[in-house]
Amino acid sequence: MQIANILLVGVASSPLAKQLERYGYGVVSVLDTASIINVDTPYALMIVDQSLMRDFGPDAAERLYFMNNSVPTAVLIHDPAAIPDPLHRIILDGTFEPVYDHEVQSGFVCSKIDRLFITSQFNKNLKLHQRTFHEKEMLKKELSLREQILKQERVINTNIIGSITAGLIILDTEGLIVLVNEHGRELLDLGDIMGASYVQSLPGEIASVVEALSRETSTTLPHVIERCKIGQRFLEISAFRMLDYQNKPSGILVMVHDVTDQENASVQLYRAEKLATVGTMLSGIAHELRNPLSIISARAQRALASDRDEPARIRKAFESIEAQAQRCASIVNNLLDFTRQTATKAGYHKVADLLDETLTYVDYQNLFDDISVNKEYVPDLAVYGDRSRFVQIFVNLITNAAEAMEGRGTLTIRTRAADAHHTLIEINDTGPGIPPDIEPKIFDPFFTTKEPGKGTGLGLAIVFKIVQQSAGAISYTSRPGKTSFRVELPSAKERTHG
Amino acid sequence: MAERILLVDDEVDFLDVVGEFLEDEGYEMTTAENGRQALAILERQTFDLLLSDINMPGMKGFELLREAAARYPAMRRALITAYDVRDYLYMAKNYDIGNIITKTTPFNFDEIRVLLRTILTGDIFGLGHYIKGTIHTKTIRQAGEIEDAVTTIAESMEEDEHKRKFRQALGEIVVNAFFYGARDERGDQKDKWEFGAELSPREAVIVSWGSDAEKTGASVTDQKGRLTKKEVLYWLERNTTKGSDGLSLGLLDEHGKGLYIARETIDRFIVNVEKGKRTEAVMINYKRGLYDGHRPLWIHEI
Repeated sequence: MQIANILLVGVASSPLAKQLERYGYGVVSVLDTASIINVDTPYALMIVDQSLMRDFGPDAAERLYFMNNSVPTAVLIHDPAAIPDPLHRIILDGTFEPVYDHEVQSGFVCSKIDRLFITSQFNKNLKLHQRTFHEKEMLKKELSLREQILKQERVINTNIIGSITAGLIILDTEGLIVLVNEHGRELLDLGDIMGASYVQSLPGEIASVVEALSRETSTTLPHVIERCKIGQRFLEISAFRMLDYQNKPSGILVMVHDVTDQENASVQLYRAEKLATVGTMLSGIAHELRNPLSIISARAQRALASDRDEPARIRKAFESIEAQAQRCASIVNNLLDFTRQTATKAGYHKVADLLDETLTYVDYQNLFDDISVNKEYVPDLAVYGDRSRFVQIFVNLITNAAEAMEGRGTLTIRTRAADAHHTLIEINDTGPGIPPDIEPKIFDPFFTTKEPGKGTGLGLAIVFKIVQQSAGAISYTSRPGKTSFRVELPSAKERTHG
Repeated sequence: MAERILLVDDEVDFLDVVGEFLEDEGYEMTTAENGRQALAILERQTFDLLLSDINMPGMKGFELLREAAARYPAMRRALITAYDVRDYLYMAKNYDIGNIITKTTPFNFDEIRVLLRTILTGDIFGLGHYIKGTIHTKTIRQAGEIEDAVTTIAESMEEDEHKRKFRQALGEIVVNAFFYGARDERGDQKDKWEFGAELSPREAVIVSWGSDAEKTGASVTDQKGRLTKKEVLYWLERNTTKGSDGLSLGLLDEHGKGLYIARETIDRFIVNVEKGKRTEAVMINYKRGLYDGHRPLWIHEI
C-alpha cells in the first residue's frame, strides 16, 4: 500500500524515484513548475529540483512557495554554492527542506522525506492534499492575479528606475552591465551597452569609482562617492555594493547625479569668500603701500628738479624710479577701487541702453577698429541694480573679449530673459578661447594673461564681485573660436513700462 | 618774514623730503615725529601752520590738531595722509577739520605748494590759483542760463571718460549756487521756487573755467557766503556714512547731494567761504587720471 504520492518536479534522478517507491511512496513526475497545475493525482509531498529555480529566474522559488503552500516541499540540491537567493531564503526559514545528492545516494533521503511527511501529517494536522477541480480553478485565478501583481510590480520598478533624476547603472558580480536607466544614458551619452563590461563601456571616471569600490574590503555596506567633470557637466558618482541576504556581493549599483548647478553655485560662493578675504587683506596692504610710494616719488622728483647737471644715466635712473612708483600707485588704486564697498544706487535700467552706453566708452579705442559688433537684443529687457556698476561689468567683459581676439573678429552681444526673474546678457567673442590650464584662475584677483603693465588682473574679479553683489550669476563656456561669458542679472520687467 | 610751519609725521623720510621742499619754497621748517613732540615744540615757539600726518603711533593727527586748536586758536592747521580721505570724513566732521591734503603718487608738490599758500595767506578765491591758463568767466542771473553755461564749460573740455561726470557735478553745483546760495530757497519747497525771477548783478552766480597742460577746472561763486564749513562737513559725512540698512544716511535728504556728488566724482573739490560775502566751489580734474584715488578735503572759511 502506498503511504502517499510524492510529486517530483523537474527531478531527473531516477534513483530518487526508485528509492521513494521502494519506501512505499507513489511517485508522480512532471518536467517543470508550469505543469504542476495539470497533475490530477493527489500528492502529499513535493520534491523540486534546484536547477529549475535557475531556469525560472528569481521569482520561481517564490511562485513555487505560493503554489505549494499546503504541501511540504523538498528541494533537491546538486550544488550548494549555486542556490538562488530566493530559494535559499525559503530553505532557511524552514519552508522548503533541502535534500542533497549525497543523501539520495546514501538512501538517507527516505528517512528525511518520511520525517517531512510525518511532520506534515501530525504537526500541521493536514489531510492528504486533495485538489479538487474547483480548487485548481481558484488556484489558476490566483496565479494569474499573482502574475498581474508581478507585472505591475515590474512596471512600478521600471517607472521608479526611469523616474529617478539620477543616472542608475547596475553591474553584476562579473562587472557586466545589467541595467542602465534613461537618465543615465543621457547623462553619460551611452549607447546600447547592456551586457557589456563596464571597463569598456563606461567613462573612465566612473570605471575608476567602481574599481575603488571593488578594492574596498570593509564589511559594512561600503560605498564610494566622487565628483568629477565629464564634458561640461559636474557629476557626482556614487557606487554601492549590492549584497544578497547572505551579505554576499551580488553586484554594484552606480548612481550618477548631475551636480553642475550645485558645483557652479559653490564655486561662486567659494570665489566670493576668497575675494572678500583677499579684499580685506589687500586693502590694508594697498593703503600701507601708499606712504612709501609717495615718498619714493617725492624723492625722485626732488632729485630730478635739483640735479640739473647730473649725468644722463643718473637722470634716467630717477625718471625710471618715478615712473615705476607711478605704476605701483596705479596698481594700488585699482586694488582699492576693487576692495572699496561703495553704497549701491539701485535702479531700473534698460539692458540695451546699458550695453550701448558701454560700447561708446570702449569702442573709440584702436583695439575695436577691426572688430565687428553684432547686437542681438531682445527689446524691453531691464535689470535692477546700480547702473555704473553694470556698466563696469560690461566694460570689463567687452574689453576682455576684444583683447582676446587681439582686435580682429566678431563680438556678439546677446540679451534674453533667462527666466521669470533674470535677464541674461551674453558676450561672445571669436578669439582663441581660454586655455584649460588657466580656467580655474580666471576669476582670481591679479590673475592676468596680459603683458606686465597692460592689466592688473582685476577685471574679472571685479566683474565677479559686482555680479555677486547684484544678486546675479556669471558663467562661461570657451573653446577655440567661441568664448561666451553669460551674466544673469535680476530682471525688472514690470517696472520699465510704468 | 618767512612763515613758520611745523610738520609732523612718524615717517622720518617724509619729514626730510617734504621739509626740504617747503624750505626751498621759503618757509621756515620745524619737524616733529609724533604728537607729543609737536606739542612740546609748540610750547616753545609759535607757528603759522601745523601740518600733521593722521595715522601715527600714539596721538593721532586729529587729536593733535584739536589739542593745538584749543591752545593756539590763531594757528592754521591741516592734516596730510596717504590713506583715503573718504574714510576720514566722519572724523573730519567730529573734529571740525576742513583741510586734509593727500600724499599722492606721483607726489603732487605743485598742489601742496598752492594749498599751503592759500591757507597761509587767506588768499583763497579764484580758479587762477589752480589753473595756469586763460580763465573764462560767465555771469548767471537767470535759472534759464544755467544749462547753457554748464554746456559751454563741458564743451570746452577734452573728450574723456571724466567729462560726463564733470558736467553732472558742475550742473549740481551751479544749481545749488543759484537757488540755495544766491536765492536761499528751501530744498523741501521746490514746487514754490520761482524759476523766472532774475538775480541782480550783485547777487549773480559767477562761473569760471579754464585748463592747462595737466588739468581742467571750473569754479562757481555766489555773492552771499551762506555756506559754512560745518555744513559742508555735515553733508559730506551724511552721504558717506551708511546706516544700519547699508544705505547712506543722506539718501533721502533734500539737501547736500550736490556737494557729495561733486566730491565723489571730481578729482579736487574745494570750497571757499567768506562769510556773508561769497561762496566759491572749485572743481579740478586731472587729465589722464593722474592722481586717481586721492581726493583731498579742502574747505576754507575766512
